Amino acid sequence: MDRPTPDSDHELMLSVREGDLDALGELFERHHGHLFGYLVRMTGERSSAEDIVQTVFQRMLKYRHTYRDEGSFTAWMYHLSRKCAADLRRKSASLPADGDPEVLSRQPDDTPGADERAAASDDRALLRTALDRLDPADREVLLLSRIRELSFAEVAEVLECSAGAARVRAHRALGELRDHFFKLQKEAPP
Amino acid sequence: MNCARTREHLLELIDGRLATETAAEVRKHLGECQACRNEFETLSRTLHALDSLPEVGPSGQLRANVMASIEAEKRALRAGKWQPAPRLPRPIRLPWRIGLQALAACVLLAFGYLAGSHRVSTQAGPANDATALQLADLKSRMDSMGQLVGYTLLQQQKGSANDRLEGVLTSATLQRPVGNVIDDLVSTLVLDPSANCRLNAVEALYAHADSEVVRTAIRVSLPREQSPLVQLAMIDFLAAVRDRDAAPAFQKLSTNALADPSVRVAAGRALTQL
Repeated sequence: MDRPTPDSDHELMLSVREGDLDALGELFERHHGHLFGYLVRMTGERSSAEDIVQTVFQRMLKYRHTYRDEGSFTAWMYHLSRKCAADLRRKSASLPADGDPEVLSRQPDDTPGADERAAASDDRALLRTALDRLDPADREVLLLSRIRELSFAEVAEVLECSAGAARVRAHRALGELRDHFFKLQKEAPP
Repeated sequence: MNCARTREHLLELIDGRLATETAAEVRKHLGECQACRNEFETLSRTLHALDSLPEVGPSGQLRANVMASIEAEKRALRAGKWQPAPRLPRPIRLPWRIGLQALAACVLLAFGYLAGSHRVSTQAGPANDATALQLADLKSRMDSMGQLVGYTLLQQQKGSANDRLEGVLTSATLQRPVGNVIDDLVSTLVLDPSANCRLNAVEALYAHADSEVVRTAIRVSLPREQSPLVQLAMIDFLAAVRDRDAAPAFQKLSTNALADPSVRVAAGRALTQL
């Protein structure tokens, strides 16, 4: 590859916008793993997460002309993933999207294996169950806040709220998670 | 720093993302407040457990699919073709009566234009500027009406909404002037009776988001659109392209009690984005 590698994601995406489509391959390599991991935790389903990641990058390709000079690429990518999740859910379930966090989430109480996980008395399993029990909007803001590449200002950009609101919501969500987690630990058989 | 302010910063403190000065203030408070210290310790344990969840990777098929999409787009670029959206709308079929009315209007406009042209050309001396401007406007309207009639009559031959979608998908892949593609998509957006077709028209118009005509068409259509889904797509579009001229429309929608609640919320949110 003779093409020099631009320094930042933003520069790469600008190159994509100008027609250098190989740059999108580089962006995919940099980000698809984190995005996939986030979506698996958010949806609880690998296949849905893969579908959403694929759609996100295909939309970046298709709508590359709309990428703007300002803002953060990562925030834009997670924002797109929200939209894609909403669209996929709407198309597959033929249900109106009430809100992106709702769309992203599965229904925790109906999740196959949730009880088994709790009964396993394993901290990871308990934490997954606790995560499932969070309100989808709380789960979303908490998981977004765990992405190292996203500052609270960028989390706020993804969620379309203020940075202060994102920080407060993330803290509240973490508190909720802790309460569920500790409660499950107490209830778990020794 | 009080308890509320301290707790607001705990997440960032745990992550080491807090500015040095603020971190020092938070730590100072933690040293003095047992309740906040407990909060910090339990949140830290929870976060540690959350971050320790094993990472899972996607299948190799994901990479293959995305790279295949990129290669397909590159081939299309090399061939000088515009790669279409996955689903693109086809212009609509209108009832024959509407087509006939449009045709009649076109004939009348044509008659007016020809008569006016004749009058100007027979005048002595330089043509009257105001008349020439009126004629230019009339000709422009006649051209538009002619497009509508042609479009309408064309649609008489088309079938279902699916046929229309397929039709535009096909036509958009051909090497057609961009203006023609935009005309078709905007016509679909404004006139198609199928919400699905209109929705796909909005999606397809992203490829032409730089066009003022496209942005204006979506902006003007937004208040008239009946389907909340299409309205949401239009709001997303205008917000994505940061169309500041859409602010009044967003403002009205966000306070319109008759609008769908999701549309009101989206319009209000879009307003803050502009």
